[in-house]
Amino acid sequence: MSRGKTGMTRRDFVGYGTTAMVMAGAGELLTGCATSQRTGQGGPGGGTDGPSSSIGYFARFGVDETLIRETLAAALSRGGDYSDLFFQHRVSTSMALEDGAVNKAFTTVELGVGVRVVKGDQTGYAYTEELTLDAMRSAARTAAAIADGPSRPGPQRLHVYKEIPQRYVLKMGWDAVRPEQKLPILEGLNASAFKADPRVSKVTLSFADEHGAVLVADSNGRLVEDVQPMTSLYLSCVAEQNGKREQNTYGVAGRAGLEFYSPERLDRVVREAVSRTTILFEATQPPAGEMPVVLAAGSSGILLHEAIGHGMEADFNRKGTSIYADKLNKPIAHPFVNIVDDGTNEYARGAINVDDEGNVPDKTMLVENGVLTTYLHDSISAKHYKVKPTGNGRRESYRYAPLPRMRSTYMLPGPHKRDEIIASVKKGIYCSNFSNGQVNIGAGDFTFYVKNGYLIEDGKLTRPIKDVNIIGNGPRVLEKVDMVADDLVIDEGGWTCGKDGQGVPVSQGIPTVRVASITVGGRNA
Amino acid sequence: MSTTNTTNLADVARQAVDLARQKGASEAAATASRMRDVEVKWRDGRLDKVSEATTRGLSLQLYVEGRYSAVSTSDLRPEALERFISDSIAMTRALARDEHRRLPEPELYEGRTQVDLSLEDPRQATLTADERQSFARELEAGARAADTKGAILSVTTAFGDALRETYRVSSNGFEGGLRGTQFVASADVSAQDSDGRRPEESDYAVARFFENLPDAATLGRRAGERALGRLGSTKGASAVLTMAVDNRAAGRLVSMLLGPMMGGALQQKRSFLDGKLGQKVGSDLLVLTDEPHVKRGLGSRLFDGEGITARPLPLFEGGVLRSYFIDTYYGRKLKARPTTGNPSNLSWKLGGKEQAALLADMKEGILVTSFLGGNSNAVTGDFSFGVQGFRVRGGKLAEPIGEMNISGSQLDFWKRLVAVGNDPYVNSALRTPTLVFEGVQFAGV
Repeated sequence: MSRGKTGMTRRDFVGYGTTAMVMAGAGELLTGCATSQRTGQGGPGGGTDGPSSSIGYFARFGVDETLIRETLAAALSRGGDYSDLFFQHRVSTSMALEDGAVNKAFTTVELGVGVRVVKGDQTGYAYTEELTLDAMRSAARTAAAIADGPSRPGPQRLHVYKEIPQRYVLKMGWDAVRPEQKLPILEGLNASAFKADPRVSKVTLSFADEHGAVLVADSNGRLVEDVQPMTSLYLSCVAEQNGKREQNTYGVAGRAGLEFYSPERLDRVVREAVSRTTILFEATQPPAGEMPVVLAAGSSGILLHEAIGHGMEADFNRKGTSIYADKLNKPIAHPFVNIVDDGTNEYARGAINVDDEGNVPDKTMLVENGVLTTYLHDSISAKHYKVKPTGNGRRESYRYAPLPRMRSTYMLPGPHKRDEIIASVKKGIYCSNFSNGQVNIGAGDFTFYVKNGYLIEDGKLTRPIKDVNIIGNGPRVLEKVDMVADDLVIDEGGWTCGKDGQGVPVSQGIPTVRVASITVGGRNA
Repeated sequence: MSTTNTTNLADVARQAVDLARQKGASEAAATASRMRDVEVKWRDGRLDKVSEATTRGLSLQLYVEGRYSAVSTSDLRPEALERFISDSIAMTRALARDEHRRLPEPELYEGRTQVDLSLEDPRQATLTADERQSFARELEAGARAADTKGAILSVTTAFGDALRETYRVSSNGFEGGLRGTQFVASADVSAQDSDGRRPEESDYAVARFFENLPDAATLGRRAGERALGRLGSTKGASAVLTMAVDNRAAGRLVSMLLGPMMGGALQQKRSFLDGKLGQKVGSDLLVLTDEPHVKRGLGSRLFDGEGITARPLPLFEGGVLRSYFIDTYYGRKLKARPTTGNPSNLSWKLGGKEQAALLADMKEGILVTSFLGGNSNAVTGDFSFGVQGFRVRGGKLAEPIGEMNISGSQLDFWKRLVAVGNDPYVNSALRTPTLVFEGVQFAGV
């Protein structure tokens, strides 16, 4: 029924587009997070912009300061240390093309508020879809029961936190974009894909966008509102040759508006989807076993997400269950390895102006000169470690309490050159395109699935390879990253990270790197 | 909690269909749903988190002048709902016509059995906060009781229960409701290995009725034993070996077989099973039926998501593919009679032996206890997954192995099924028993 309760989902994974949905077992897990047009603090269109109103976007739903103060008072009625309310309105729309026509569309509207009460490191959580005083107070009392003491007063005054960055300012929000403006994009892509290669026999397209906002109000009286757009586009094609079929997908995503779909980007979507499909006719599964692996710049950042990112989320370390729990300030990689988790990349899918606890995210160094430096914190773990929150408190929706989560995770450029790295490998594989990955946080074993790549023989890329899983152990693999090129690419694809049953949008990137040895699934060892 | 209003779900769905038709839809179907959900998490001797909510929603399929959209909302304020339906219909009008998009033919709604599926346990309404906490606490105690080596680092347990109600109405005569409860208990255990690794394992149970959950101490102990069993795991050598897959893990393999059986995959040429109806794709031991009427079954139903009356559906008989999962839309496109768009419960033709006996027969190989990542290519059948488990030597469990992959092609893999256990996994609607395959490529050292 509700997702995330089975043991399976406690594993943490990342997936690409529809793969993420399958992996999460989450039914309609959308590939994005929140929503539209930024019109500055206070009042996007439709809000009440009266002089006394500090509530912008959510005023349209009758949310005002009295409602918030009374709800927070109920939340602290059993003596909780802290409480926050997370209001969310998200309208997600997707249009799909199949068999040459844009003939189906899907819209999901989410409106609700989550109430969290924290006592020590214990959490009470409740939510409601009715933004009325009765419903919200009742949810607050439910969450309040995590504590068992005398009532504490809520905030008397609320103040709007205004110094938030502007990382995804749109010319026009998705709520103002008409379907007629999207349809020609899909129809054009469909025609281009068929034109690109006569072997293409089926094309499907999915164009998704989101508009809406979040509002965090906490018991310190802080109000933070953020309008969060998102869009993604996937082109998937099937090609046929001599009675054989292959398929592949290319996608792009960002917290961006219609202008994201430049002619160059759309051309790339077609080119990549088609070429990644047709090359599969020549591809085979590589030999099985341990071998050197070169990871192409870009989406190979999946390595970082799985090998170290999840293990650095502070909740696992606070519980002592991460393989990195005793490695802070210790060298774990070559000194030219620097890894960050960054919420600041403008218009990136993993960018956020504020996290889902109202904190402003920055660029967080996970590994600096080969030394493990900072965990990824939400407010609970930050309090435990007596550090500032890093702005990693994120959640899928108002139905969930926040957890420490990644944003955009990538490795900084290093001292080597791409060609030099490929030339250094006598027999191994080069991986350029991935669909999904997964990790066991404590044992450290992680995997990622390679859709496209090449064999490397005597320093040269030779035969194409496909459909192979790679498995390694996080800390051991990081030690074996022994060459890092200067060609960092942050992937433009629509990655969704799953943890504890919650999906959130993330980005990832990496320069070309060499892993000296890792186990490649495959055939005929 | 508060969001439960007393409005009847059937009325919500009927009103939504009426409203959609008033606003210009030629046909419409609506499903109204409500779920009450409570979960208690417990960690290392104390309460960690309690969450509780009642959530609601309405989803609609709109057919407007030969055009189609599917929409849903949690904002059920009357004026908001009216606006939502109007906007959705306007959006639908912008799409291309699709002659295959219509509600199901009404005869597919006929013949619904009146059998009581026993999906709702009245016990759910009387469970107290204390009972939930006690269960979670006893799960931890069970896990720790398994720890003879003092290796357990942390135990997180959870107990949750939910009541879900849905009611569906269509403008061409379908009406039907479903109410069901579900109880979930889980224990996640982390242990300290001598080399710094902290392997984790879990066990969990899911049941429609509270009394069908295993007792907390037993379930917790199994989770503890699973985690401790991981200590000292090593990567084995690359080899072609016999592979047993335990009943819990086997669901992952079956999922990769079911995906390519969907009508959408077939019509879009994304299925290695395209054209294989009536052909042998597995060994004689692959005998599978979709069985919607299992009492207390996790996937049990009287009708599917479109309203099609649920009936048993033979999927594989003696390894021969007998049916696809075809909904009405892809049925029209494929000119095939609809079966149902998705599986309910799987019913396996079970073997006569439990896992220990199967391992004794297999003598040498690997028992896979869980998969990590990996994927399968639905078009070609190629797959590759990360695995962990145990080496089997002399018919008995030997050392734990991990950090290995398996790879193969489904076109060949299911023919290698050489044994099926007598132990269906009841915590999943897939109900997989232990499965044994010979000649599987493992990658390791």
